[in-house]
Formats: sequence, C-alpha cells, structure tokens
Amino acid sequence: MAGIYVHIPFCKAKCRYCDFASFPDKITFAESYMACVYREMALRKEDLKDYVFDTLYIGGGTPSVVDESYIAMLVAAAKKNFNLVKDAEITIEINPGTVSAGKIDLYRKCGINRYSVGLQSAIDRQLRELGRIHTLNDFIACAKLLKGQNFNADVMIGLKDQTVADVLQTIEVAAANSASHISMYALTPEDGTPIYTDYLNGELPDGDEVAAMYAAGVKRLQKLGFERYEVSNFAKKGMESRHNLNYWRRGEYIGFGVSASSCINNIRFTNTFDLDEYFKCILSGHLPIIDREEVDEEGQKEEFIMLALRTSAGISLKTYSSLFKSDFLAEFAPAIKKMSEYVEFSDEFFRIKPQYLFVQNSIIIEFLSV
Amino acid sequence: MGKKQNIRNFCIIAHIDHGKSTLADRLMECTGQVSQRDMEAQLLDSMDIERERGITIKLAPVRMFYRADDGEEYEFNLIDTPGHVDFTYEVSRSLAACEGAILIVDATQGVEAQTLANVYLALENNLEILPVINKIDLASARPDEAKKEIEEVIGLDASYAPLVSAKEGINIREVLEDVVKYFPAPSGDDNAPLKALIFDSYYDNYKGVILFVRIKDGSVKAGDRIKTFRSDKVYDVVETGTFNPALLPKDGLYAGEVGYIAASIKSIQDVAVGDTVINANNPADEPLPGYKKVQSVVFCGIYPLDGSKFNDLKDAILKLQLNDASLIFEPDTSVALGFGFRCGFLGLLHMEIIQERIEREFGLDIITTAPSVSYKVIKTNGDEIYVDNPSHLPPVSEIDRMEEPIVKADIYSPPDYLGQIMDLCREKRGTFLQMTYLDKSRVQLEYHLPLNEIIFDFFDAIKSRTRGYASFDYELVGYKPSKLVKMDILLNGEVCDALSMIVHEDSAYSRGRTLCENLKDAIPRQLFEVPVQAAIGGKIIARETVKAMRKDVLAKCYGGDITRKKKLLEKQKEGKKRMRQIGNVEVPSEVFMQILKTNKD
Repeated sequence: MAGIYVHIPFCKAKCRYCDFASFPDKITFAESYMACVYREMALRKEDLKDYVFDTLYIGGGTPSVVDESYIAMLVAAAKKNFNLVKDAEITIEINPGTVSAGKIDLYRKCGINRYSVGLQSAIDRQLRELGRIHTLNDFIACAKLLKGQNFNADVMIGLKDQTVADVLQTIEVAAANSASHISMYALTPEDGTPIYTDYLNGELPDGDEVAAMYAAGVKRLQKLGFERYEVSNFAKKGMESRHNLNYWRRGEYIGFGVSASSCINNIRFTNTFDLDEYFKCILSGHLPIIDREEVDEEGQKEEFIMLALRTSAGISLKTYSSLFKSDFLAEFAPAIKKMSEYVEFSDEFFRIKPQYLFVQNSIIIEFLSV
Repeated sequence: MGKKQNIRNFCIIAHIDHGKSTLADRLMECTGQVSQRDMEAQLLDSMDIERERGITIKLAPVRMFYRADDGEEYEFNLIDTPGHVDFTYEVSRSLAACEGAILIVDATQGVEAQTLANVYLALENNLEILPVINKIDLASARPDEAKKEIEEVIGLDASYAPLVSAKEGINIREVLEDVVKYFPAPSGDDNAPLKALIFDSYYDNYKGVILFVRIKDGSVKAGDRIKTFRSDKVYDVVETGTFNPALLPKDGLYAGEVGYIAASIKSIQDVAVGDTVINANNPADEPLPGYKKVQSVVFCGIYPLDGSKFNDLKDAILKLQLNDASLIFEPDTSVALGFGFRCGFLGLLHMEIIQERIEREFGLDIITTAPSVSYKVIKTNGDEIYVDNPSHLPPVSEIDRMEEPIVKADIYSPPDYLGQIMDLCREKRGTFLQMTYLDKSRVQLEYHLPLNEIIFDFFDAIKSRTRGYASFDYELVGYKPSKLVKMDILLNGEVCDALSMIVHEDSAYSRGRTLCENLKDAIPRQLFEVPVQAAIGGKIIARETVKAMRKDVLAKCYGGDITRKKKLLEKQKEGKKRMRQIGNVEVPSEVFMQILKTNKD
C-alpha cells in the first residue's frame, strides 16, 4: 500500500518558525494552483496505474485556507486518477482560525475522515509569539465542529518562556476537547526563519529543559490514554496515522504540488519550491521535478533503520530480512553490542528502549555506515 | 666555477622580527637574483607555516653573484637562519657552513636577548661578524644607541656598521660591499679528498634525498661514487647544483662552495645532518666536526586520530626528521590512545610547528598529548632514571626522590614592568638571581625557574603582563630536587593514561580542580553520566560531572524530510570520527590539550 500527499502552499500569515513552502500573499492564485494539482495527478495517472493507495494527506501551508470546494474537487481528482481504497485514510491539516461549520461539513461529505489541527499551545501569549493567527478559544470552537470525528492536535514544546506546566495544560486541553491523536514535537529553529534570531539570542529553552517538557508530556499523555507509537506521535488505540506510519516503514508515496516529495520504486524526487515554475511546468505538460535520487541498497537499509527506530515498535526483523535478505541482529552485532544498554530486541523486533527515544540520534548513528 | 677567493659564504642572524628575511630578499634583488616583479612577499620563507607566522624555521640557502666596486665578480652563498630561541640547533648548523655572519640589529629596539645567544654561537664557530643597523627609516630609530649597545653589550666594533632600511632598500649596496671586504673567502683544497658537511636535507619524490652541503675540501660531480662517514652505503651522484633558491643544476661543486647533491638516496635514516660526505673511491680519513647534539627539552605523545594510520604517521615523522635532526622520537603505546610516538622537541614552538607540519604536509589528523619535561627519578634501589612520560613513572613505593629540570631565564624589559614580571616568576616558583640595568630603559632580570612551569603558559603570560615589551630567553642549567607528584585523570572511573601529568605538590589541588572543570566543558555529553576526577595515588582530589545527554532527536520526520534528516545524522556520525573512545567515553582530540590551560576560560 502506498500514500498520496498533496501540498497546499497558502496560508493567512507565515508563522515565525515556518520553514515550509507557503505563500501568504499569493492566495489569489489558489484556484489556478488547484487546477494545476488536478492536472499533475492526471500526468501521473498512467505511471501509477498498478499502485494501490490507502492514504491521502492534504498538508501545507494551511489547506483549510482555500475554498472548501477546491478541496472536495481535489479528493475527487485523487479518487478518479488513482486506486484509492474504499476505506482510505484521508487527512486534511486545518488551522483553528480558518474553519466554519459549512467547511467541515463539506470536508466530511467529500470523504475526509481525519483532521490534523494546529493547536501548538493552549497559551494565547505563546500563540501570538509564534505568529499563529488563532487563539485557544478558536481551537475549542474548532474542536466542537469536529465532535465525533477523528482528529489530531499538534502540540509544540521548546517555546520561548514555556514551562512544563504550559505543556501539560496544552495536552489537557487537546484531550478534553476529544482529540484522538496528539503530535508533540520540539520546535526546531531553522536558519532563515524569524524564530532563529530568538534561538541565537538564547531565548529558547535549552535541550535539558525541552527534555523535561517532553518527559512530563509523555507521562501525561500516557495517563490520558495516548500511546506513543513514534517519538513525537501519540494516539488512542487504533487511531495512529496510517499515512505517517507508511513513511516510517519506508513505504512508497507520491507527492503533488510545490515542494512535495515522493518515493516510488526506490527513487526519491522532489517538486520545485517555486510557484511560478510549478505553473509553467504543469501548463506545458511537464513534471515539476527538481531533485531525483536513486537510493541504492545500502541507502535503503539506512533509511529503513533510521525511520523504524523512530517508532516504538522498532524494526520488524521479518520485514528487514525479507527486504534485504539479511539477518539484522547478525549484520549489526557489533553496533548492537555497543548500544546494548539502550536497545531491546526479541526474535520479532529490534527497538530503542522507550526511555532513550529522545536521545535516539546517538544510537541510530551507530547503525549508519558512512 | 670561480676562484675560491671570490666566494663568500655567510648567514644572517637576528632577533625574530628584526628584518632578516626582508634584508635577504633585498640582497637577492640587488644582485639581480630575482626580479622584483617575480618576487613573492618573502622569498626565503617558503614553507606555509613560515609565511603565516612570519618566522623562518628551515634553512633555505641561495646563491647570488655580485660585481663589486673593485670590478671583480663574487659568488655569495647566503644561508638563512631561524630566529626563535627553539631553533638554536638549526642556527648552529647554518653557521658551520659559513665564514661570516651579518648581525641585524633593529635601530628601534637595540640588542635583544636572542641576538646575544646567536652572536655567541657565531663567535664560537669563529665567524666574522658584520653588524648592520636596520629600520633606520622609522621615526623611532635610534641608530647611535643601537651601535653603542652593540659595543657595550656584545663587545663588537660597530663604528663601521652600515645603517640600512631593508624595507625601503636604503644602503643595501653598502652591505654587499662590506660582505666582500670583511668576510674571508673560504679555504680548502680542491685537490684533497672530498669532505662535505651535510647541513640540511629533504626528501624529493623524484630525486630521493637531497643533501645540502658545504664542500670543505675536494670536489664532487655527477658520476662520482660517494658515501658518508657514518654509513657504509655507497651512492652514485646523479646531480649537483646550487640554490636559486630553487635547485639549479651545476656541473660539480668545489671546495668552498655551498650546494646540493642528489644521489638517488632512498633511505632517510642513512644520511644524517651533520655527517660528512666523502668520495667512496678516495675516502678522506677523518670526518669534519659534526654538530653538538642537542637536548630535547619538551616531550609529548603524538598519536594518529585514526588508529589504523600508525604507519602513515611513522612515515611522516621520519620524513620530517630528515631535515630536522633535532626532532627525536620513539614508538610508544598508550592504553587510551593505542600506538603512537613519544617525541622530543627543542621547545614549545618547535613542538607546535612539527604538529602543524604533520597535519598540513602529510594530511594526517593527530592527537597530541600535553607537553612534559624530563624528570630525574632516583629510585629506592639507587637507580637513576629520566622520565618524560608521566605514565612511565615507577610506582611511588620505588621512588626515593625526584628532581626537575631548572632553567636560567634572562628576561629583558623596560623598568615599568618589573613588578609584574617578578610576580609572575614568583607564581611560577622562580628563584631570583639578579637584576642589571643595561641602560635607563632596559633591565635584565635573571631567574631560576622550573622548566615545567615555563612550558605551559609562561611565554604568553610574560608578553601579556608587559604588553609585549619584555623578551625572554632561557637555557637549561640542571636539575633540582622538588616535591613532585603524579596526577591521574579518571574518566568514568577509569584512569586515562594520556591525561596523566607530573605536578608540583603545592599546585596539585588547584591544577586538578581547573583541569576537571576544563575537561567537563570539553567532553561532549554522552548517553550516560561521566564523572571526571583528578587523583593522586588513590586519593581523589577533584571531581566534576559531565551530565548525561537528554535531548538528541530530529523533531519531525515526514515524507519530505527523510533525505535531509539522513544527511544530518550522517554529519553527526562524521563528527564522531574526530573523537577517540576512552573506555566507553567518546572524547574529542582537543581534550588532550586541555592540560595546557592553567586557567578556566
């Protein structure tokens, strides 16, 4: 099974930490853009006719900022061009400040069955600092509209002036408003974003403080019935994101729209980040690919390991041996011995011990060849 | 070539920064050796490190021709010399190949400590000395005082000393005339059996070992069969020539001349600098006097960062030793660092330069341990041994007493900084000997100081406390009993032998504390907590803790991030290659130099 990703590069205002392809001033191009995305799908139809897809993920930017009818047409175009299974997981990212009852209603009607809501923090002051356009009350209102539906709430840690109590409060708010899934991830100050200056000025919490927030958050989430299935992802039973699990299992996926990435048949490729260029390519009937890389067997192994070790389940030894015709435990015996304190395994799995997931890089690199 | 009486072999000696290389360049320019247009900033200093640091380390000979006022053409062989105190050995090598020495004295600074040391060296070698007052173009120049100092301090007649500016090219011709006038022509018999002094050598990838020689007697040309006094191996001379300063082939070298010999010599060990080259078919019966064997003063361990590169490191050190006989080494092993070498140097600068040359010229990453001096250990059974590697110190129960090397330090300074200098010498356990006012602006202080206090940060400290005005020179005078102890460093409970050091009992506690603090900051956090302890015998005297790492994760990883995240992880892994595993602790190579820091930054 494979996944489909569609990137919607529009938003009302750029958040201070945002490093994604997103153009707040170009929302007027949304209609043309969506038309191009449908056309890009049509261009790919023939290549992917043998693939079966079980997830569709509409991300951004802020997909909920464009007219909901375009989204409905997008889902229809995906179904028309590709073999999307009947019970496919169809997710859309939404900003709590951009929704209405009518919008959610149309999403539901066109087949969207999962939502990812950018809550980030339950503290309005922190939302303002991040450049978010919504407030806590917007989130509560949004959650009411989603009542009875499957939705994720994003929670950020490592924010300026954030305390452990702030993190716990945000988690409580998400849970109380019936989120079925919570992503709790640390703010990464990327060079070139406004928040990077906060980082340079030493205004963001240091690694130890973030680790303390994370540890307290994990504990609270588990108490509230959310199980960690990936280092940053927590779900009520059976509510894991199939789309994201596919990434961590190194499954295949096709991306549409500016900056979208794909991995098909061990070839990774990425679309242009430039909106004009994207239009030009699609209108002249070309694929807008700027980067293409064939991943060799060594690279496939490394990706498989690095991704699987992010998850609580870890590496499935059976999958590893069927993919690479090799016994993982034997192949990596020296690294496993060196890391024995921090990992655990049986004849089915190999994984990082839960208490070391947040320091996983130091463990994972022992399994990379370089 | 030429008549012997028209040859002048000389060198230039000067304090560092008094303009030696600039004058050499000027002399070459003036004799048409190099057109100004082609000239690189400083011709003779051709090694990268030399040019960057503005100092001369290696000898770089050059030949030039000069038509003098008497109408005759003269052949000058100029052998450049290093100016730093560490390189006395190199200086003595170049002096042995010369009949004269130009002594440069800076008209703004007068006679410096280093100038004195080299002048005495030149006098010992029976060289004629021509004083030259340089930098007369500067507003602060005081040439008359400089002359007076030369006469009073050194005891040379300076009345005829040319006043020049090498930088501005003033009075350079006068220097050339004086070289003809005052320096003797070389003696030596062309027809006697060959005797040539090897004063330098280096390894050329195509020609094998190139010998830099001064022909004392006889001659040598391509096709001759030669050998050296100390070795039985015979070589066929392939090429002879002079220095341009690049190698310039020339048919035959004759008594009195300076030049090079290439004889397809493959093995570096077979030809030692200071040895005498003789003709294998008509051997001279006794060698030329060699050089005084120099004593290594500072020692450190050098290990390859990548343990498998031991042989590459060995080749590099052998090649460096070929033209730097003052570098001594022997194989050594460390529990922490594996196979490497214990190396002896003339001083700290010499050590730094060798380390830099290994890394730059041979592209090797190395770990160097902190420098140490050689201690005298008198064992309870009466044996006397010298120990320069703290981890080779016998058990305390076998040590009766220990002695440490003492130097006599001459410090020259304007009187304003006397207080600061005396404070520093007191802190460094110095014993005051005497103070002499050289004139009203210069004082000479003499101290006895333990060498191990000097090799840490004495040089920097004295410069910073006197705003760079003081200069300092030292010579080893002997050993003195001292209360010395071996301090070990434990990482995660295990002794790291590469970090052990010998310290004076009184400063052990403060050194241990500072070192632990510095190590705590220099060792990156690991997956587990790492105690860093200093211990004497079995007793812990200081402790710090490197806390366990708590966050080391790439926050999000979805479809578009995978390639980038993988690159980040690879980069992190790459960084680890710059580290060494000590027990189960990963330690960056710079950590081993933390011992050098006596203060917390």
